[in-house]
Amino acid sequence: MKTTVPVIAAFLSGFVMLLAFFFNPETSFLGRLEPEVLSWVTIVGGFTLLLGVVSIIRVNYSSVKRKSSGWGYKLATLVSIFAMAIPAIFPVRWSSLFGTGTGSIYDWLFNYIDSPMMSTMFAMLAFYIASAAFRAFRARNAEATLLLITATLVMLWRVPMGEALLQGIHGNLPNLINTYIMNGANMAVQRGIIIGAALGAAAMSLRIMLGIERTYMGK
Amino acid sequence: MTILLVFAYILLILIGAFLLYMAFKTDDRRYIYAAVAFYVIFPVIVTLKLPITTSPEVKQLYDAVEALPDSSTVMLTFDYYPSTLAETEPMSHAALHHLFRKDCKVITMTTIPLGGPSIAERVTRKLAEEYNKVYGIDFVNLGYKANYVAVLKGMGTSIETIYPTDNSGTRLSEIPMMENIENYSDIDFIFVVADNSIVDYWISIVNAQYNNPVGTGVTAVMAPRYFAYISSGQMTGMLGGMKGAAEYETLLNKPAAANMGMTSQSLVHLFIIFSVIAGNIIFLTSKKGRDGKRT
Repeated sequence: MKTTVPVIAAFLSGFVMLLAFFFNPETSFLGRLEPEVLSWVTIVGGFTLLLGVVSIIRVNYSSVKRKSSGWGYKLATLVSIFAMAIPAIFPVRWSSLFGTGTGSIYDWLFNYIDSPMMSTMFAMLAFYIASAAFRAFRARNAEATLLLITATLVMLWRVPMGEALLQGIHGNLPNLINTYIMNGANMAVQRGIIIGAALGAAAMSLRIMLGIERTYMGK
Repeated sequence: MTILLVFAYILLILIGAFLLYMAFKTDDRRYIYAAVAFYVIFPVIVTLKLPITTSPEVKQLYDAVEALPDSSTVMLTFDYYPSTLAETEPMSHAALHHLFRKDCKVITMTTIPLGGPSIAERVTRKLAEEYNKVYGIDFVNLGYKANYVAVLKGMGTSIETIYPTDNSGTRLSEIPMMENIENYSDIDFIFVVADNSIVDYWISIVNAQYNNPVGTGVTAVMAPRYFAYISSGQMTGMLGGMKGAAEYETLLNKPAAANMGMTSQSLVHLFIIFSVIAGNIIFLTSKKGRDGKRT
């Protein structure tokens, strides 16, 4: 029962969506079946978010209670979750500080704490990339040398000063990089990856629908 | 003034060269960090106006939006996290400048729960004020809804089923602009600004299944992936990173944040290239020396 019901649900949901791709829902027997399935997906998606929140609270709360290593950070996580979530849940009609609109507590926390922190973390990457490039980007063999030359050309091409430098060497060099590197070698490889990934996804979907793949059930 | 500017930038290059020399000499990476910090911060204080040439992908997107009849309905997505604001927000700004200038009706939405609706609200209201646009008549913010695949697919049948209310809780049936908009067939163009693989779903679901033209603004790291979609005609132009945004701003004749960021980005790119070349010269000469000693 624990296995059969999810397999049947996965098969039916997948089959409806598969048919909906090939048949017009308005003129075929599918009717409102497709939007109905999609509504269910959104509802289940909402519950998975709730499950995630409950799980993160349970894990962090038990660490704080036991005062295990780094419990202070876990406490900060818990405080942050409640500080962001509670004012956002209360209805706006009670106060303009509630909800997620402009001027709300949620909006303030997002704009002045969360957003600068995330931007700062991401900005640190520039320093690490510069340091890593300087230390590790070596022309050790033919492949590494080819990668080094290509990366240098693309990096120059992507900024105005570099573009001007390339144009100084040969007027048409930026266009050649766009044509032969980005729209040539790069595109061919990316297309291969995209098609390969799509075929893999189709095969995986079929395995799930037929009940062969059951890892989503924890098996 | 120009002489002072040239002098300041020569000084900046010399400081960078000195810091790089110190990094090699002491093997201390903090000199590299200091140089990068200099090259990022200095151009923000002493701005240099650089000529921006337009790439075909950006021109294609600009032309597609320009070719839309006035008062068309356009969906603009804010599918990005705050971490990539520096790259993506100038794209949203430029897109809104273009759309409001053409009197387009703009529907904004996001598939990002963390801040997506707030970013959309902040950016759209700021630009709307500049162009005297009214909420509910000229633009609407649908906000966020969980499970993006179902959201993208579901809006093909009915936007109201997926988003019964807008971001502030007003029912869509009460919003005048949404009166005649039922699904994708009532939307003329979709402008996706994203920092994640949601772009693939906009292409594979919305463009492939509903034939809506989709133009994108993506981070520089993501851009190489999407040349394949432009070539196949599934994507109508693309803004790649801050440079793409700067090109779009230039086409609009509205140079702003992306144009300002170009000097910092140019200097950091050139510094990295220079340090990689210098590192390789040292690597090759030291290797030659070691090989020579062995023989």
